Amino acid sequence: MSKPKGVYDNAATGDTAFRRTWDREEYAQKAAERQVREAKERKERYEAKLAGKKYIPKSEVETDPGETKFDDSKMIEARRDRIRLDENLNKVQIVPLGTTGGRRGKGPGYYCEACDLNFTNSLEYVEHLNSKQHLNATGQTDVVERATLEMVRERLTWLKQKKQEQDKAEEFDLSKRLAERKKIEDQERLEKKERKRIKKEEIRQRKAQTVTETSEQSGEVDDDAAMMARMMGFGGFSTTKTR
Amino acid sequence: MSKTDLPDAKAMLDSRGLYDGPTIHSMNPLLLMEKIIRERIIDSMYWKEQAWGLNAATLLDRAVELQFIGGQYANQKPTPFICLILKMLQLNPEREILLEYVQDEDFKYLRVLAAFYIRLAWPAAEVYKTLEPFMADYRKIRLRTQSGYKLTFVDEFIDDLLTKERVCDIALPRMPTRAQLEDLDELDPREPLVSDVESDEEEGEEGEMMEE
Repeated sequence: MSKPKGVYDNAATGDTAFRRTWDREEYAQKAAERQVREAKERKERYEAKLAGKKYIPKSEVETDPGETKFDDSKMIEARRDRIRLDENLNKVQIVPLGTTGGRRGKGPGYYCEACDLNFTNSLEYVEHLNSKQHLNATGQTDVVERATLEMVRERLTWLKQKKQEQDKAEEFDLSKRLAERKKIEDQERLEKKERKRIKKEEIRQRKAQTVTETSEQSGEVDDDAAMMARMMGFGGFSTTKTR
Repeated sequence: MSKTDLPDAKAMLDSRGLYDGPTIHSMNPLLLMEKIIRERIIDSMYWKEQAWGLNAATLLDRAVELQFIGGQYANQKPTPFICLILKMLQLNPEREILLEYVQDEDFKYLRVLAAFYIRLAWPAAEVYKTLEPFMADYRKIRLRTQSGYKLTFVDEFIDDLLTKERVCDIALPRMPTRAQLEDLDELDPREPLVSDVESDEEEGEEGEMMEE
């Protein structure tokens, strides 16, 4: 059987090469699998109905939200740092054209990479970070671990240590930093002196050079000046006033 | 007690009357705060950003960072202090944890925070018993009000909690006075915290008298 040939059906010209091609076998296999699955489900549903029970899909039975959810996704942890809402303040950004309409895609404002969503105000953005959608996208559950007395004690002692260290660091810093500062300033002063000395030396050398050069070139210059004087009627641009 | 907490107060404030969680004074703990201020807190940036996802341990991080107490300030913004109170009402920490908070010596704002929660949540006799020892804490604390900052002290604040009806823009649950509780034999007469100091002073005065 010969297929009727259309205008675009000429493979040689490559007119239709831009079209997507599909792996027909793979999709046929998928369709067959789906048919089998659906037939099985229909049968189960029918049997459940005959037995007078409510049919519950197997996928839901297997993933009990209370237990299996905790395996791979972790519980919410409190924020360690502030959300940096003024990160892009006073910065110029190039934004692709046509992204301002919907929320999807990066545009002006606050952008959530995990969910590929864009928000135009900070409150919306923070609310999104707290939302179930974002938690799902970042592999978190929507619960927080409940603290025990032990955890509270541990945290409190840790905070106390932190505070003590901070206090100590502040005290220690002052004298040390003053000494460091003085050292740096001394160094800078020395360097400045050295630079000045080198500069002076250079200037002196250059002066000496120019003096020798002009004395060498003086004869040549005089010839040029004489030529110019003959041509233009005056000897040069310097004053001719006799002192 | 469940092993998990919720990151925010959304589920606890379900308005369909389906609340079946833990109760304080036989009511939903979050309803101890008036609706107006509660909603202002829940709409506030501090609540959404800083108070979200805390538990009784990580709440300490925020509590030690407190710089002032108070109810609402500026243009009726809720203070971080009051936000953390709502958070504690939501978390409903165990008794031992609260005692750990309030008995800590290093962080005065943590003590004040825990004292406020205890006043809101615990039965009257226990409130008196737990909080009265801290009337010996004379450290300064900042109180932020609508009109600016004021200086107050831990002992003064505890006294306010025990005697006033409204502290930090929150109506406290009604509590019988100390005298009434003593009449009911629920409390022993209070032992003055400054008895030793007074006797010393008296002795000193006597000494001076003698010298004269």
